[in-house]
Amino acid sequence: MRLPRAPIGLVCATALAALVTASASATPITPSRDDEVIEVLPATSSGRSEDRQLRRRLAERPGDARLAAAVAERYLAQARESGDPRFAGLALAALAAWPDPVKAPNEILLLRATLEQYLHEFDAAVAHLRILLARPGGDGNPQAWLTLATVLRVQGRYADSDAACHRIGVGVYASACLAENAALRGETAAARRSLQELLADARLPPQTRGWLLTSLAELEERDGRAAAADAAYRSVLRLGRDTYAAIAYADFLIAQKRPAEALAVLKDEARTDTVLLRLAIAATRANAPSGERDVAEMRERIALANERPEASVFHGREQAMFALAIDRDAERALALARGDVARQREPLDLLVFAEAARASGRRDAIDEARRLKSSLGLHDRRIDAVL
Amino acid sequence: MPSSERAGGWRAALRAIVGALLLLGAAAAFAHKASDSYLQITASPGRVDVRWDIALRDLDVALDLDGDADGKLTWGEVRAAWPRIESYALQRLAIEGCPLAATGRGLERRNDGAYAVLQLTSPCTLPTPPRIAYGLFADVDPTHRGIAKVQRDGAAVELSVLEPSAAMVAGGTAARVASGAGAASSSPAASAAAVGARPGAVARWEFFVEGIRHIVTGYDHVLFLISLLLPAVMRRTPAGRVPVERLSAAVWPVAGIVTAFTVAHSMTLGLAALKLVSLTPAFIEPAIAATIVLAALDNVLPIFPVRRVVVAFFFGLVHGFGFASVLAELELPRADFAWALLQFNLGIEAGQLAIVLVATTVLFTLRRWPGYARVVIGGGSAVAIAIGALWFIERTANVSILPF
Repeated sequence: MRLPRAPIGLVCATALAALVTASASATPITPSRDDEVIEVLPATSSGRSEDRQLRRRLAERPGDARLAAAVAERYLAQARESGDPRFAGLALAALAAWPDPVKAPNEILLLRATLEQYLHEFDAAVAHLRILLARPGGDGNPQAWLTLATVLRVQGRYADSDAACHRIGVGVYASACLAENAALRGETAAARRSLQELLADARLPPQTRGWLLTSLAELEERDGRAAAADAAYRSVLRLGRDTYAAIAYADFLIAQKRPAEALAVLKDEARTDTVLLRLAIAATRANAPSGERDVAEMRERIALANERPEASVFHGREQAMFALAIDRDAERALALARGDVARQREPLDLLVFAEAARASGRRDAIDEARRLKSSLGLHDRRIDAVL
Repeated sequence: MPSSERAGGWRAALRAIVGALLLLGAAAAFAHKASDSYLQITASPGRVDVRWDIALRDLDVALDLDGDADGKLTWGEVRAAWPRIESYALQRLAIEGCPLAATGRGLERRNDGAYAVLQLTSPCTLPTPPRIAYGLFADVDPTHRGIAKVQRDGAAVELSVLEPSAAMVAGGTAARVASGAGAASSSPAASAAAVGARPGAVARWEFFVEGIRHIVTGYDHVLFLISLLLPAVMRRTPAGRVPVERLSAAVWPVAGIVTAFTVAHSMTLGLAALKLVSLTPAFIEPAIAATIVLAALDNVLPIFPVRRVVVAFFFGLVHGFGFASVLAELELPRADFAWALLQFNLGIEAGQLAIVLVATTVLFTLRRWPGYARVVIGGGSAVAIAIGALWFIERTANVSILPF
């Protein structure tokens, strides 16, 4: 049969509307042949049929903790790799047989907390890790302590984070964990020395080396030593692909008024929301031709995400950065940043809050940012310069 | 419109389309948002309509739509899976007091990929606040949400976010029911709506109606029939065409042509519906366009060495395959297959009879007009040839030229 065809004028109008406004509207698909491809599913690192097999096996034996953990780990890895939050949802579903955290096996509980960390549900992650670590024998789990220390650091609870770092035991992870907190508090020289000592070990796996170098780069950046930070970031990226470091370096380059270099750093990264935001800002600042498109796409993604009321909380940092850098809407940026720092207090969150407060010109907001910074005990010269 | 201007217009239109496709393609490949479905609930007194958009990639996780696991969802795979999609979804949505039944289907592209569109309806008045039990993907992705927009007559749109509840899937007794205000409470959910592809469709003669609809809005079949009928109210003489004297002289050739066309397309429709013969639409659709061109051409320049009844028969075979591909999309119920097929065929014949009666009446009335041979037969055939040729190009080159 002949499928309905839209009149040519309508097609043009729709296409133009899509081009001009990048509206969130849906366009009908009218396939004409059975072999017409309607949707390309996201690539899987390990093979689609294997994924399916694992899912089926889990459906038959939903209480099999090892199988459930294997499925959840696969999806979590995929979520991290692609930045696609749907995979975190699939991973959570694999753990659905243990709705009560008290009854969940250790490995399941740890995975659940890790997923909650990924989904920015920090309070839930801390609560679940505490249950795990309070168990007899549960406190000997270095990975759980490390995750707890990381989440507490993100929440700006440096002293609690220190306590968790100490429980990791000896070795590079405990030392790096403590050095990172020390650097945040401004014990810069000691933290730098500690990280450099750890980096002197030639046998470090590249991933650990990358993590330490990124910590060092961020330390130098917060301490206002741009050349040292630049060198450290470059060393990380020479080790291989590292999305976290690429984004951090891009932020650094944008702040250093080197937006064209930021574009180059991000050009091979998957266009996750966090990457696209930096692309949009850097391209706008650099007057690059891709700017308009990336800004429109980011705007549309924000509009779509905000159909869920809680989205502006989960993505508050990115939305505040967009409002500030692209829309120059200081009031909106301030509201978003204020909501963000209520849950998440990494240096970047406070920096965005401080910048929004400064842009709004409101004394009370600037004071609020100052108070928050000193209550955490954060040392960050970038924020000092803004306030 | 001067042709050069038109060509320029075309180029601009093509550029716009290509640009939009690129934009959509880029967005679809990279958008990263959590899984949401979209429910547009429109309520008026005594009637509730629901349009429910569900992402195909989410459905694939639950239902393995990608039959060959090649990472690409084709129209064929989605179409084959549609009854499963409908049944899966309908078991996971209930609006208290409003048993839902599926009435339509579609596909659409959103920023983050392709979505299945389910049209549901219920002859009920939506309670205030609406109590919606939602369980979609509860077993697959607990972070999934349903974004519901409720529009009542003359009122502002109410937005609510539905959280999937596993209880709904298990038995539907203790499902979490979200009120329009977004509050959640426990209450017995309305029982999930009927399962399967449109139960009772056969009993309601829906396939008969589909048959009528298809012939009446299937302009290509209508145009072919009319092309065949144009000269039927004239007879050939050595001196050229002269109008027939009596109605009966026109009725017999018309009846012969229509009967031949009907017998032929019923045969191929039956063969294709029973899956005994299958021809790809990529061949059938242009072939149907070609039958129009040839039939109309024969009116002005006889090209067939046989009687028109024979032409109607052979071309009818082609049109039958065209009807069959509509039928395939209707997903005939397996239980009442023969009865549904007969309904569809009878619907086509009823619609066709109506068209023939009207056309023959008009043509018979006009036959004595001196310009009939030149204007009606000649001009009408020329128009049919032009439209048929454009359809042929559209269907082989897969471009859109005509607005219908």
